[in-house]
Amino acid sequence: MRKPPALIALLGVFASLAALVPLGYLLFRLGAGADAALTELLRPRTLELLLNTTLLVVSVTATALVIGFLQAWLTTRTNLGFGAVFAVLSTLPLAIPSYVLAFSFTASFPWFSGFWASWLVMSLATSPYVFLAVSAALVRTDSSSEEVARTLGLSKWQVLVRVTWPQVRPAAAAASLLVALYTLSEFGAVAILRFDTFTRAIYNAYRLSFDRTAAAALAVVLVLLTLLVIWFERRYRGDYQVTRPASQKRVRILLGKTKPLAALGLLLVAFAGVGVPLYSLANWSIIGSSTADVSEIFEALVGSVTLAAVAGVVITVFAVAIALWVVRYPTGLGRMVDYSVWANHALPAIVVALALVFLGANLTPWLYQTTALLVLAYLILFLPNALGTMATPIAQVPKSLEDVANSLGVKGNRSIFKVVLPIAAPGILAGAALVSLTVLKELPATLLLRPTGTETLALRLWMATEELAFSQAAPYALLLVILGGLPALALNTQARKALSEVGN
Amino acid sequence: MFKPLAALTALVAALTLTGCASAEQEANPLPTESVEQKDSLVLYSGRSEDLIQPLIDMFTAETGIKVEVRYAGSAELAAQILEEGENSPADVFLSQDAGALGAVAKATLFEFVPTETLAKVDRIYSDLEGYWVGVSGRARILTYDPAKVTELPTSVFDLAEPKWKGRIAIAPTNASFQAFVTAMRVLEGNEVTSLWLSAMKENAVIFEKNGAILDAVDAGQVDAGLINHYYWHAKAKEVGAENMKAQLSAFAPGDLGNLVNVAGAGIVNDNSASRAFMDFLLSTSAQTYFAEQTAEYPLIPGISIIPGLTPLSEVKSPDIDLSNLDTLGETLELIRAAGLL
Amino acid sequence: MLLEIRNLSLSYGSQAVLTELNLEAEQGQLTAVLGASGAGKSTLLRLIAGFEAPTSGEIYIDSKLVSSATEVLAPEKRGVGIVPQDSALFSHLTVSQNIGFGLPKGSDARVNELLELVGLAGFANRKPASLSGGQTQRVALARALAPRPKLILLDEPFSALDAELRGRLREDVKAVLKAENASAILVTHDQEEALSLADKVAVMREGQVIQAGSPTEIYNEPVDLGIATFLGDSILVDGKVENGKVSTDLGKLSALNSVAEGQVGVVAIRSENFYLQPNPSGDSEVIGRVFFGHDAVVEVQTPKVKIRARSNGPFAPEVGMRVTVWVRGAVNFYPN
Repeated sequence: MRKPPALIALLGVFASLAALVPLGYLLFRLGAGADAALTELLRPRTLELLLNTTLLVVSVTATALVIGFLQAWLTTRTNLGFGAVFAVLSTLPLAIPSYVLAFSFTASFPWFSGFWASWLVMSLATSPYVFLAVSAALVRTDSSSEEVARTLGLSKWQVLVRVTWPQVRPAAAAASLLVALYTLSEFGAVAILRFDTFTRAIYNAYRLSFDRTAAAALAVVLVLLTLLVIWFERRYRGDYQVTRPASQKRVRILLGKTKPLAALGLLLVAFAGVGVPLYSLANWSIIGSSTADVSEIFEALVGSVTLAAVAGVVITVFAVAIALWVVRYPTGLGRMVDYSVWANHALPAIVVALALVFLGANLTPWLYQTTALLVLAYLILFLPNALGTMATPIAQVPKSLEDVANSLGVKGNRSIFKVVLPIAAPGILAGAALVSLTVLKELPATLLLRPTGTETLALRLWMATEELAFSQAAPYALLLVILGGLPALALNTQARKALSEVGN
Repeated sequence: MFKPLAALTALVAALTLTGCASAEQEANPLPTESVEQKDSLVLYSGRSEDLIQPLIDMFTAETGIKVEVRYAGSAELAAQILEEGENSPADVFLSQDAGALGAVAKATLFEFVPTETLAKVDRIYSDLEGYWVGVSGRARILTYDPAKVTELPTSVFDLAEPKWKGRIAIAPTNASFQAFVTAMRVLEGNEVTSLWLSAMKENAVIFEKNGAILDAVDAGQVDAGLINHYYWHAKAKEVGAENMKAQLSAFAPGDLGNLVNVAGAGIVNDNSASRAFMDFLLSTSAQTYFAEQTAEYPLIPGISIIPGLTPLSEVKSPDIDLSNLDTLGETLELIRAAGLL
Repeated sequence: MLLEIRNLSLSYGSQAVLTELNLEAEQGQLTAVLGASGAGKSTLLRLIAGFEAPTSGEIYIDSKLVSSATEVLAPEKRGVGIVPQDSALFSHLTVSQNIGFGLPKGSDARVNELLELVGLAGFANRKPASLSGGQTQRVALARALAPRPKLILLDEPFSALDAELRGRLREDVKAVLKAENASAILVTHDQEEALSLADKVAVMREGQVIQAGSPTEIYNEPVDLGIATFLGDSILVDGKVENGKVSTDLGKLSALNSVAEGQVGVVAIRSENFYLQPNPSGDSEVIGRVFFGHDAVVEVQTPKVKIRARSNGPFAPEVGMRVTVWVRGAVNFYPN
């Protein structure tokens, strides 16, 4: 068993500690103020928050599941036509960060707020995840078993429920988990739409109570909810394997009379998820174009891009190091590092940021309000995703190539640099770009940890929206979509694969 | 109202004469020469960027001192300073209302304001002990839609009645609202305040900012709202007073709803830049800026207010000592307990 | 007549898949549709099952019109079962749930009956993922048979299995179908399969049924050269009809089919129709030999023509031996 190079081990252990320490400090802080925390938790207000949050998560997950499934089924399995067009329209909301989506609705419909608004916006923002997962699953399974079911006496719709749905259930369940966690940790959209969930309450408690123990108490409840959701999904997912068929025959189900209705439904969803935001952003940008402060916009742009680039590089280095460790030098410690990094991946950004604020202000003031602390927050938040993206290209480099390199005189670990990394480079670069774009769009952690004087596109949008200065906010929203959302969507391999397969 | 100014001057004189400074806590501000020299300033501003940035630019142009600003809500910044404690990077804290200033003062995180600076303003508008100074004044007021509100409330407590359900807008996260609630606590006690807040939970439409409330009333989306006076005048200046649908109405004389409050500033880290900025805030140019640009009440003598504005002396404010508004923490507790936050 | 297909045509745009196809199948029979890949066999099954509509022509099941260019009866209403090429079991259900899928609740007895029939008695609660290829096909068959359909369609059901398994499964499937008195249409490209299993074989080529009949008929009396060469291993020799027999380079041969005097054409002789008589003074010489164990293919150079003859394995002539070549049995003559 080869041991990992010292540098890799160092990076890995640091990432591990970085992942565990903030949460630890949060709990410690909570323990110190246990009475205040308990008072906070027993308020009727906390119950109200629990109900609100649960209601939102459940309703959004259910809605996203229905919308995403129908979109996938209609585009891949029926004779609806224009499959590629509908597939693109169904995926496009991913290019719009959820708080930008919320902003675009609020800007055009100021009365649009509260539960129903949050439900609608979050459902539109998350159903693409379900669409992508389910359409990938539908494309993989062929229609033979569905045809057999029809010969056994089932109508088209019975087949949908009793045969098609069970086959995509694992994929749909995984996507639903994603949707639920996303909604649970969503901050920007619910704050803009003024709906009180835990994240919004944590933020307000952070801003407006002087010992901030209340914020910590609420944060812990949110973490518990997150764990509950994960546990629940594990149980529901089911343990059957979908057997891969030999033939890939795909035949279209004839829709008949319901065809126009189906098309109308898809168009309506696309209109709400893509049409309204684009119109709203364009409209408000035009209104604001005359009074736009170009230097301010430019400053925010530079700020966003710089942070994204720096964080992207840092996270990539760590991700590559840990991926190499896990894939190439399988040791027990390596596995532990891997798990610990993932411990935080479901944590809402605002909780991580809160923990780091406490840490920074009290334990490490020299780090406090510095870019370094903010980048550390990004590392904790996005390392799991980066790791997931980059482990695959690294794992795919055949071990035999390294052995050959060794036999040709390249010493031990140097083969990593000479063989593994160059071959895995395209995958790593794509992963790095994706991580940078995710940082570019980040809001809650940036809000809490920004160094004085740092501006980003997301922060500017946030502050302008608070002032209801929609025309001022619009250019930032537009830039976030163009610079962050669309490229991220283009890089999303799952999306690309789904679109190419559906289009056939 | 007794005369704190006289007492303070006597105290300062006595201490200066004895030339003593305690090791743990400074009894008086250090003379200017012995203070750390700094050519840049970190400002925590609870007032919005739109408002403050031009002022800061003026300051930098005048003094050459570069300013880094952190904009956020006043209470949030106070919370931040409290969290940061002695390690706070802030030099000056400019707050929208006295409550947040009071909280920081109570935590002994402010340095004394230099005597000359403090002396520029009428003592009733500053901290009793000299930890912060008032910079501009504002009056709480009701804005309403004349088409929808035919019977104006005489007291802010009228708004608790069921007939106001869904018709009155408030901004619980706004510093001025919080200061107003603090005043209610100080004058009427916690119980009455809690009841009123619970009624607001039932009746009120929640907004984040005063400006948003005004826009909503003007657009006919809500019938009335509680804001600071200058929002209306600023908007009237922009769109023309004759085009404003929303109108202003003061409450009965002495009612809490007429509360006159101040925006103020205090020194978190004492250095040459902080002192220069504090002086600047009370200079003619800055005070004229507040009077003309934001329609607030200037606090140094000799600055004229915008036409159409009720002079400060004629605003029938309730009888209260502003420095008693420092218990912002408890106010926030009550507001949160009522479920408004 | 259980199934009647009349002048069935299907075109996708300008591409014709089936052209005026005619086929009949009787109750209780196993009909094999034999053809090369791309002949349109699977499409034919899909039309019979009701998944596609024909461009023209009709399909009758039990004398009732089920498919025409204008009207197609929905698959779920036809009583036609299907066993697809890849068995297509419902992976989220157990074996018995799969089999009972088309049955109303409480049909456990029938499910168990079928489990026994296909030889999977202990497999009721297994999941499809844990089954072997042959086992999944058995389950697929049982599933299709469970609701006692009028007709069951099998789409190359053995093609995914290895040779040994194929043989055993074929016999089992035939037995099961007979036991259920099922009427079945089996589509395949494997001649051995078609000839050994079916009661009736229909040979398909380019979207049409060229010839339909019993296996013996098809094999011994192929109606044209194409079928003749498609089935079995044939040698083609030119010939001319003289005095009722066909004169060829291999001698005068009797044709099985009727011939007219003076016709010129081709004679197809199956390799097993040759008898090689060892004869030191024979006019033919063995020039090649491939040994398969149970039989051998021997290449022989006759005076005018080179032939390939199938011979008994251990007793096949060696290379270099001289033989006399005889043609046994009737052969088929196809005029040009």
